[in-house]
This record gives sequence, C-alpha cells and structure tokens, in this order.
Amino acid sequence: MFKEFAKGLSITFKHLMPGHSTTVEYPKQKLAPSARFRGLHRLVPAHQREKCVACYLCPTVCPAKCITVDAAENERGEKYPRVYTIDLLRCIFCGYCVEACPVEALEMTGTYELANYKRADFEFTKERLLK
Amino acid sequence: MVTLTIDGKEVSVRPNATIFEAAKEAGVHIPVLCYAKKLLPYGACRICLVEVEQMKGRLIPSCTTPVTAGMVVNTISDEIRKVRKTVLEFLLVNHVVECPVCDKAGECDLQDLTYEYEVTTNRFKGAPFAHETDEVNPLIERNMNRCVLCGKCVRVCDEIVGYGSYSFIERGFDTKIATAFDRGLNCEFCGQCVSMCPVGAILPRPFKFKARPWQVKEVDSVCGYCGNGCTVTLGVLKDKVETVRFNDKTGVNDGNLCVRGRFGTSFVNSDARLSSPLVRKDGVLVETDWDEALDVVAKGLRKAQQAKGVGILAGARLTNEEFYLLKNLSGALGTGNLDHSGGQCYKGVTEGLDSVLGLRASTSTFPQVEQSDFILSVKADFYETHPVFGMVVNQAVRRNNAQLVVLGDKKAKFSKLPGARTLLSRPGLETNLLNALCFVLLDEDLARTEGIDNLEAFKAALASSTPEAVAALAGVDAQQIRISARELAAAKNAAILVPYGMPYLAAASELGTAAANLALLAGVVGTEGAGLYVCGEKANSQGAIDMGILPAAGALGAPQMLDALSQGNLSALLIAGEDVLSSYPDRETVEKALKSTGFLVVQDIFLSDTAKCADVVLPAASFAEKDGTFTNAERRIQRVRRAVPSPGAAKTDFEILCALCERLGRPVEQASDAAVFAEIVRSIKGYEGIALDQIGAQGVVWGGENLMPLKKNLVSVEGAQPLSAALSLITGSTLHHSGTLSTHAKGPLSVCPEPFVEISRQDAAELGVAEADLVSVQAEGVKLSLKAKVDIRLPKGVVFIPYHFSQLQLNRLYKGQAAVAVEIVK
Repeated sequence: MFKEFAKGLSITFKHLMPGHSTTVEYPKQKLAPSARFRGLHRLVPAHQREKCVACYLCPTVCPAKCITVDAAENERGEKYPRVYTIDLLRCIFCGYCVEACPVEALEMTGTYELANYKRADFEFTKERLLK
Repeated sequence: MVTLTIDGKEVSVRPNATIFEAAKEAGVHIPVLCYAKKLLPYGACRICLVEVEQMKGRLIPSCTTPVTAGMVVNTISDEIRKVRKTVLEFLLVNHVVECPVCDKAGECDLQDLTYEYEVTTNRFKGAPFAHETDEVNPLIERNMNRCVLCGKCVRVCDEIVGYGSYSFIERGFDTKIATAFDRGLNCEFCGQCVSMCPVGAILPRPFKFKARPWQVKEVDSVCGYCGNGCTVTLGVLKDKVETVRFNDKTGVNDGNLCVRGRFGTSFVNSDARLSSPLVRKDGVLVETDWDEALDVVAKGLRKAQQAKGVGILAGARLTNEEFYLLKNLSGALGTGNLDHSGGQCYKGVTEGLDSVLGLRASTSTFPQVEQSDFILSVKADFYETHPVFGMVVNQAVRRNNAQLVVLGDKKAKFSKLPGARTLLSRPGLETNLLNALCFVLLDEDLARTEGIDNLEAFKAALASSTPEAVAALAGVDAQQIRISARELAAAKNAAILVPYGMPYLAAASELGTAAANLALLAGVVGTEGAGLYVCGEKANSQGAIDMGILPAAGALGAPQMLDALSQGNLSALLIAGEDVLSSYPDRETVEKALKSTGFLVVQDIFLSDTAKCADVVLPAASFAEKDGTFTNAERRIQRVRRAVPSPGAAKTDFEILCALCERLGRPVEQASDAAVFAEIVRSIKGYEGIALDQIGAQGVVWGGENLMPLKKNLVSVEGAQPLSAALSLITGSTLHHSGTLSTHAKGPLSVCPEPFVEISRQDAAELGVAEADLVSVQAEGVKLSLKAKVDIRLPKGVVFIPYHFSQLQLNRLYKGQAAVAVEIVK
C-alpha cells in the first residue's frame, strides 16, 4: 500500500518541478488558442471590397440576434453590406454565422481579449470587423 | 363529376379538371414551376410528372392532363423522384446560382425544389447563361440568367394583362424570354410578371436588396387607389410599407394588380407627410398639439354653425366607418351640407341609375364578367381607371370570345383587345350613342319590355335618336350601332360598364340614366351572369354613396357649398381627405370660395394646395395606417388593416372625427371600428346582417351576387350636342395614376412623372409638334404649358390632358364640361 502511495505522490511532486506547470501567468504570458477557437469575428476582405454579399443568412441564423446587416447596391450594381455590425455583448460565440455564410466572408479569429470600458466599444462595425 | 384515385385517395372533381387540380383538391402536393391557377395549362417545366396506371410506360405531366373516370394516379415513387431530380439538374446546368445576392432566395420555387430533391451535384455540365440584365426601366428588373423558361411572364402578360410584352426568342439552348427586338422593357409596368416569376429572373426594382422574404411582415389589406377594391398584401419592414407581396388567395383580383397598386404605395413613407396639427396664427400655419388644434376646430365650427352654417366635403378614400362618423359630425353640428368628391359625378350617375332601377350600385360582381359574351364599355378609358377589372374583361374577350364594344372619344387599351369594336364618337356623346342603342332595341323589337313602365313615353322621346341621326352627329357608323345593339340583345350574359369620377363630370346623371335604360331594355339587370357596373374612381366611392355622404334634403351639395362660400352665405368648411383645389373642376371658383371661407379645416395626409389655404390642418392617416372597411365598385365590403404606425402625431380620420364629435357635445359611444361597423349594419340599407368577423378573405358582397332592380322605369334623357371647335380638350385618367394621390408615389411617378398633352398624329403634323415638344394649351385667356405626346389613340381634333397633376392646374381650363375648345401653340 505504501508503494502505491509513493507512486501517486511522485506524480504530484513531479508537477511541482519547474517547467511542469499547466497554468500560465496571464497576462504576462499568453497561450495561442487552437485553430478552431471561436473568438472575435472577422470580415474577410476581397478585391476593393468585403467578401460579404449581404445575404442576411447570418442575422437570420443568429440565436442571440446580435448581427445587424443592411444591404445596398454599390456603384457596380453589386449587393454589399452598407451596415454590418455585431453586438459582442449579445454574441454567444456559437459560430453559426460562420457556418451559415455561403461565401466564406466571415470567420472567427483567436482574439479573446474583448473586455472594454464603454458599451459602445462592444459594437463591432464593418470597419472594425474588416481589420 | 369524375372520380379518380390519387395516391390511394378517392377524389371527385369537375370533368375538365387536370390531374394537378384534382390532386390539389385531394390535398396531395405535386411540385410545379410553370403552373399558375389563373393561367391556361402549359406544361413547360416537366416537374409535375406523375404515374398513371392506365398510361403505363411513360410519365404524365399532371398540370396539362385532364382527369378521366377511374384514373389511378401515383404522385410519388422512386422513378418519379429520379426524373424530377434529373429535370432540376437540367435546369441548373445553365442557371446562374447566385442565391446569396438574389432577392428571390427564400421564396424561390427552384431553390425549394433543389433543396427538397437534394440536388447537390450535377451530372451535366454547361456554361452558365451570360445574358445582359435589363435594368432600363425604373420598376422591373429582368435577369434572364436566372430564368427557367416556364413562360409564366409571357402568358400572364398575354392572357391576363393583354399587353404582350414578352415572347420566347432563339431556339434550343439559346432560348430566352425577350421583349420586342430584345430591347428594354417598356410597358404598362403592372408587374404581373414580377408576381408570377417562380425564380429571381423578374424582380421589383424598388425593393431591390431591401430585405429577405422571411423578414417581411405581411398585412392583408385593400388597395387605396381605385374603386376596383383589389386586395393587397403589404410587405412591412421596420414599420414601413416597403413592397406589395403576391397573394392570390384573397379578394377577387386573383393576385392581379396594376402599376398603382403594386408600385404606388411609397407615398405612405413620404417625408412630405403631415406629422403634426397646424393652426394659422398671424397668417402663418404653425405646428401645435392636438388639444389646441381640436379646440380651435370645435370652437370655430360651433361659432360658424351659429352664424351662417358649416359645410362638410369628403374625399372618397375614407373608410365606411369614417364616413359614418362624418355623418355623425354633421349631425352634431346640425348641418345637412354634406357631400363628397365634387358632388355631381358620383351623385349624377347613381341618381340616374336610381331613377330607372331604384338602385345606386352595380348589379353584379366582377367574376361574373369573365363569363360574359358581350361587354359594352361606356367611356374609352375604363381600363385606365380600373385596370384590374379591365384584366377581367380581357379574359372574357380572350377566353370566352366575348364581343367588346367601346363607346368613347378615344381608342384606349380596350380598343386594342381582339375583336373589340370602338364606336369612336366626338367627345361627350356617350349618352346619344346609348340612346341610339336603345332605339335599335325597340325599333327592331329586340328589347325585353315586359313589366317595364313608361315604355310609350320613352319610345316617343327616343324618336329622334335614330342610329343614323346619332351617327351623323357623333361621327360613327350607323351600321355599327345597329350591329352592336343586335349583339347586345342576343347575348346571354351581357355586361355594361360605366366608370365615373372627377374627370367625367359632364352630363353624369344623363349618362347613368341612359346606361340604366339600355341595361333594362337589354335584360341585363336582374339576370344572373349579366350586369350593369357603375365603377367609382376612388377606393370607397361606393361606400360614400352607401353611407349617404350626400346633402340632406334642402341642404347644399358640393358646388352649391362653394358658391355659398364665395358669396359669404356659409361660414365654415371642413374638408376630409380631398385636395379640392387641385381635383375639383373650375379652380377659379374653388379658389375664390376657399379664400372667402371664414374658417377652413382640412384633414389630409399631405399639405396639399387646399390645406395651404386652411385655418387648421389636421394630419390624417393613409389607408395603410388604419383599420376599417371599404366597399368596392361591385358592392364587396372588404377589410382594410393597419400595417404601420402613422408618422409623428398624425391620427386616423376615425380618431379625429371621434375627438371632434366629443368636443361638439355628441361623443361616439363606442369608439372602435367594430362598434361603428355594427352601427352601420344596424342603420344602412343593404348592410343588414353582416358581421365584421364574417368579412373574410373574399369580402362580403352586400345585397348578394345579383342585385334585383326595385323598379323598372324608363326615363328619357336628352343627348348632348358636340362641341364645334378645331381642337377639343378632354380630360381623364392615365393608367399610371389615380386621383392626385399617386403623384406622391415614386413608382407611378417614375413612369409618368409630369403632365402631358396627348395629340393625334394628324394634329401634331398640322401643328408641327413633335413628341416631347413644349407646347402651350390655351383657352379663354388661360395658358398651360406642358410637353406634347403624339399618339394614335386620339381622333383628329381631340387632345387629352390627364387631370392628376396639381402643379399643372388643369382645372383652370376644365370646368366640368365634356370638352373644352382650346388652341395649341408651339
């Protein structure tokens, strides 16, 4: 019985050794999220414009109703989002919007540091989302 | 009835039904792309293929195959699924898949079927279409790359509208739908093709990229323009009426609409709408609140009533409930001076009818006209005033081979229908022609005279109205009059159509009487399937007559009120929903009357020319902002529903009238539209026993499908004398506008933006005037300058100016005559 006890504790002590910690000292040290992490949204740019064609599928599928799209016609006669805003205070980061997008114009990045001081700063407009 | 089996269900249907219709009745869904209820079977898309036990070996298109007794039909099997999927793959070979930017996505039949049949890959390959899109016109966008060649637009334009804009061109893979010489679309812009297109090939331009179909809230209501009473389904987005949606399940219009109804609702959202009450202070209209405005109105009206009296004028676009309250208000004020829409025209025609038949409304309903075999249209521009009823006439002509005879002073749309005969007369002689038709019926012993009073005196009075005499006077062929009369007498189901409205003031009573005489002698009244139709110009013209918005015995009508006002014999005037200054004849008289009115109150949705003269302007609500009922020209009572809130502080006329009644000491006991409708049912003749809840999708026709005449009393009327002038000016309606209201709507304005004078080719050549030249039309010192339009509709010596545009001030020339002698100078 003592043998098993020692074996168990040895694992515990091994983790106390430097270099074996699972936590990091945030914010001095930051972890890179995995590729499929669902962080801040990003609108994908294309030539001269955003890739988004304002099809309204993302606001339709959004369970939190946090996406506002207003379509319009540009000078080339194309449909484009005059307004594209995501209210991050309402967003639940489910990723349905990305899944619904028929033209892969929306993706979710690894950015997770989204705290802010003012409510208005959580309104991500088209210009901010395109960055 | 024929009995057959569909998917194991026994169904009995009418013998000439197709398998598709039988399945629909049995509740079995068969997918279709090219089928539409109102169009003839076509069989273009091959999606509706089914198996029939008796016709083994091939699949049968269900939308074109008539049923036979004992037929056993299977609508779904592995084989059928496979074939339908293949058909979809064929369609998708060239179809440009741009659902994310196509406005149809979400209600696209092709998209839905592709989803249902799981067409995820395509075994066939081909280049997608690369046709140019047609974006020339402001209302309808055509993108033939999305077309599936179902031919619905071609057929609806031909079968229903009778315009024929579209046709298939080229062959094989290159087939596409095009207009003449493949130029841009230039048509009536009724948008029937938009409503029929199963895919996104034809779309409404004003609604381009505005929203997805599923985001739009739909509100069933009734169009606020003409007396046709088409049901419209308003597409509401963020409390704004943005579009009109296709709906063929309500009303009698089968989803058919005209350019006004489909593209003319934008006036509701106009920035020019009145949003707060205005009261004149120190000569200027200033914004105020309701309490103050209503107090001023109540005080002013009471004072005026104690002085020389108050007059009330209404437009014909108020709801029945509002008319009823307006009557209450006249009661509260103790005045009988109540009238609507110019007085004479509406009252004239219906009074004429009343004197002969004892009725003041159309005797039958619109769907019966489709089965007519003879149609007589009095006035040439019936289609222009009532386009959707015109489409019913077109169907009778095309599908039922009805003979259409037009009595009129120009060759408008009706004259172009197949086999139509136009008795093209000098202006204002319709009554003479009707008399001549009566003469032939009596002369050739074709009339149905049993039980008709006053026959001998009528015959004697008619002695001078021989076809030959009338023909010489009117400039038509006497033989044509005789032939038309004979056909009318021989017809089983004849229809006589009489439109009435502000541009047709001259001899309205005579016209109504003459038409009623003819209807009586031809046996049109009181026979099922036949009918005499008197069709008001505005949405609730019939309701105004029914509710009795007419002067009380001994009281003043509209023209007398205006006279009394200018002579100082009337102290105040309340106008609800009419731009009197722009639409009444004789602007000078109206202007003088309004200027000399001690106290003028105007309820309107825009600051019209009339409202600018007012002491108090009360902002009212449009048809899209109120609940109530309209009664259309065939007596159908239909419900108007509130779709959007009114702008700013604007209130419905209902609320305004309730508040005024209360301030004048006679409050409305239950101020809800349901309670007032119940009151109407209790007190208005013909409306007995109708419950508001009972008014369903098809409305309720008061008096039943066929109204029996209360008397049969011929009344002789004198015909008119033609105007002898080198150029006679006539006025009327254009297809794109209705009253003055549509000049605030973007759709109609984009097609017909400004007033014009239409001149015949011969006159234009003589005057040296070309299309779009600026000319001046002069008479009696009045000069109007406007653009010329050269056309072949008019006979030589007649010019036409539509009356809709208030900026033109046509009523400085038009004083209610049938025709005005004018000069045209370049």
